Amino acid sequence: MAARPQQPMVGRVIGVDDATPLEFWVAVAPGHTLQLDDVVALERVLPTGEQVDIYGVVGQVRARHEGASFQSDVFLIAEGILPGEVSEAALIQPTRFEPEILLPPTPGSPVRLATEYERDTALSFDSVDRKLPAGLSRSDEPIFLDLDFVDGTKGAHINISGISGVATKTSYATFLLYSMFTSGALGAESANTRALIFNVKGEDLLFLDYPNRSLDSQADGVDQGRRYKALGLTPAPFRDVGIVAPPRKGDPNATPATGSRKTGVAPFFWTLADFCHQRLLPFLFADAEDERQQYTIVVQSVTAQLAQLEGTDDGAVRFENRLVRTFADLVDALEDKLSPTDADQSPDPRWTGRAVGSGTINAFIRRLASARRHVEHLLRADIADAQHHALDLDQHQVTVVDIHSLHDRAKRFVVGVVLRQAFEAKEASGSAKPLQFVVLDELNKYAPRDSSSPIKEILLDVAERGRSLGIILIGAQQTASEVERRVVANSAIRVVGRLDAAEARRDEYGFLPAVARARATILKPGSMYLSQPRLPVPLLVEFPFPAWATRPAEAGRSPIGGGGASASETGKIEAAEADPFSGLTS
Amino acid sequence: MRFSVDSWAPDYGTSRSEQLADAVRPVDPSVEVAAQEWEPVSPSADSDVPSTVIFVDGIRRIDASVWIADSSGLDQPGVCATVAAGALRCSPGGASLDAVLVRRAIFTAADQAEALDLGGPMIYELRVVSAGTDEALYLAVHNYMTAVEHELSSGLDDDSMIVFDGPLGLRQGQNSAGYIKTQHVQYLDAEQQQIIGRLSPGQRTPLFHIGGDIPNWSWYLRLPSGGTGGHSMTGVVRVELPGLGDVASVAARADGLTAALPRFASEAHKDARAPQNLYPIAGLERELRRRLGDGRLLDRALRRRAADTHAA
Repeated sequence: MAARPQQPMVGRVIGVDDATPLEFWVAVAPGHTLQLDDVVALERVLPTGEQVDIYGVVGQVRARHEGASFQSDVFLIAEGILPGEVSEAALIQPTRFEPEILLPPTPGSPVRLATEYERDTALSFDSVDRKLPAGLSRSDEPIFLDLDFVDGTKGAHINISGISGVATKTSYATFLLYSMFTSGALGAESANTRALIFNVKGEDLLFLDYPNRSLDSQADGVDQGRRYKALGLTPAPFRDVGIVAPPRKGDPNATPATGSRKTGVAPFFWTLADFCHQRLLPFLFADAEDERQQYTIVVQSVTAQLAQLEGTDDGAVRFENRLVRTFADLVDALEDKLSPTDADQSPDPRWTGRAVGSGTINAFIRRLASARRHVEHLLRADIADAQHHALDLDQHQVTVVDIHSLHDRAKRFVVGVVLRQAFEAKEASGSAKPLQFVVLDELNKYAPRDSSSPIKEILLDVAERGRSLGIILIGAQQTASEVERRVVANSAIRVVGRLDAAEARRDEYGFLPAVARARATILKPGSMYLSQPRLPVPLLVEFPFPAWATRPAEAGRSPIGGGGASASETGKIEAAEADPFSGLTS
Repeated sequence: MRFSVDSWAPDYGTSRSEQLADAVRPVDPSVEVAAQEWEPVSPSADSDVPSTVIFVDGIRRIDASVWIADSSGLDQPGVCATVAAGALRCSPGGASLDAVLVRRAIFTAADQAEALDLGGPMIYELRVVSAGTDEALYLAVHNYMTAVEHELSSGLDDDSMIVFDGPLGLRQGQNSAGYIKTQHVQYLDAEQQQIIGRLSPGQRTPLFHIGGDIPNWSWYLRLPSGGTGGHSMTGVVRVELPGLGDVASVAARADGLTAALPRFASEAHKDARAPQNLYPIAGLERELRRRLGDGRLLDRALRRRAADTHAA
């Protein structure tokens, strides 16, 4: 064991407040300070002579006048009329007892700051074999996650909560991915590890392969390169990124519908043959699994029938005697089948299900027709070479699926179908490694607490079985209270950025001590609380400013072709919203 | 009917004994002005007001009454007491505790008494008293405390004004002043005494000289007492200086102190003996009381030791 770092005593354990193994107060010695998040160490010697090392983190600090009994005494003390001593004390939340003998520290025990190897011991980094850099403490020392709790060995999934804009949830998610890919924590596997990112808001994540030109011009003058270095990382954009976006509506060439980024974007859609044979129909109905809905019987029957239709080489399907090439055609054909114009002819029960009334059938048709205009550009067989536009999650290390411009129904459809594709590919491969990460914001939309849908079922599958299959969900939402409990509960790592004050009081954040909850409402952008199974208290981490563009305005030189952003791109870039990291100082 | 409510809480009596004892020491009121020309004195505007004042006070506590076996075969009474003295330096920037002394002693007339070491800081030195009466023991404790105060103040290496709580007695240092908040003795004739009633807050009486073995200069002054309609002795204190120097220099020091003290006067809602019980003295006493240590702890240690001596 290395020699104990020589640190001066910064205080002593207080004897007039109860000291417990779960928390205790330390009076700060004159001439010293303890601030929130400081890591401290102390000892207790047992009657047997054995020594217990106690480590902890400062969770609260307070100062008061001793010798004053009235509030106005502060003036007398300041004017030198009344003696009054300033007493400062810090609440310590123990993180570790070594060996694990859970005793309170003895009042009067000297307390020192934990540095070097003591800090690693205090935060249990010493017993972590595979360390994933997760950010820096406020004093710029690295904070790690135990990869065992990320990659499924002991636990999996990361859940991030925080209000939009300020909490920088997706920025942190991309930082964790970057750390995963480039820190070496994954070893040789990292080259084959894949990430799937859904871009749900703006065109923020379409520039991950562009350097961030705001990186070196941060107003606070912090040397971001040094912060990356402290974590053992090199600031650079993501290397191997594939961007797919839905086709422009009404465009016969199916060019991707992106505004600010023109190059390096591929369109994605499914052929009608895929739609029928892969049984994608239920994903169009957000509430298709809700037992109370009668028409779900129709959905199931129609899905089964569609799967039996004959497909053509170019992705169309033969529906009885017609060749169906567009989703509109398919809807028309289904309408004719389920609701014959001839009133005397009853619909085919193989398609509708048994003993289904016309009201139920009409409910199905109504819902299907209303979905048409939202998804028809995603389901088509009118493009040559359509099969080549199938989504391939293996082609690039990071695949960004842009769904921000889609209607909610189409978003749910895409998320559900893509997740199922990833899930089934993993199931088929039979091996958890290499890992497939999935980054999805707005989980409350896809796995809401109070309803059921095929998309939610997929997410629950990922949350509950993904750990063994090697699918790791990095989920984010504004409010964890609105997300299905089992999705959040299965996340080994919880992260909290700035929270709304009412939200912070919810039970979902029970892992945050009271002071941390209060602080969560005033966290700066780029600061998060990180809770991991190894540590009984959450740590405040700051992550370096992203080295990759996290919004169009930040995009530097294009990685493709070596040129800068084109004239039209530049115009778009300038019109884009301002950097939310700046101007937020609270 | 015209009446006033005393500013001191009833538990503490009043700042003036109902029946003042006549002074036994000779008093000369005609040192600054002739006795028949007495008028309230306002300190001159250019008087030298000390910015730093050191307050010295001591407190005592009887930890236990004890009975000590004597060679005569009778148990002799005694007391175990803890005394503490402290010096508080009050400057415009802050008040700091300059020095504190805490002492413990066992007081008795028993011939077989010895010092008690109960471990840690709980050491009682032996102080033999000539008689075992309550008065003698009480006086011995009081003198012990005064001696500790004196020891403390003589260790203060400073030119600042040192104000002792209580009469000066033996503490005749150059910069010493005694601050007497309760009046038991009538030093002045009725003619001069009524001038006290006419003092406005911040004013003093002319100096008078108190003779005897250890002579003093003295005067009365009135402290501001917040409320209106006090009685004639509201906020009145007596201050004494060592009987050294000439009248002019003593008068200048009296002016300085008279101007300096009102700023330390306490307010009725914060102190039961306002305004005479000055803030620094109250704060110092509170701090000293804390330094006496927990009386229950001492009591327990004494009882345990006493039981041991019986078992032996």
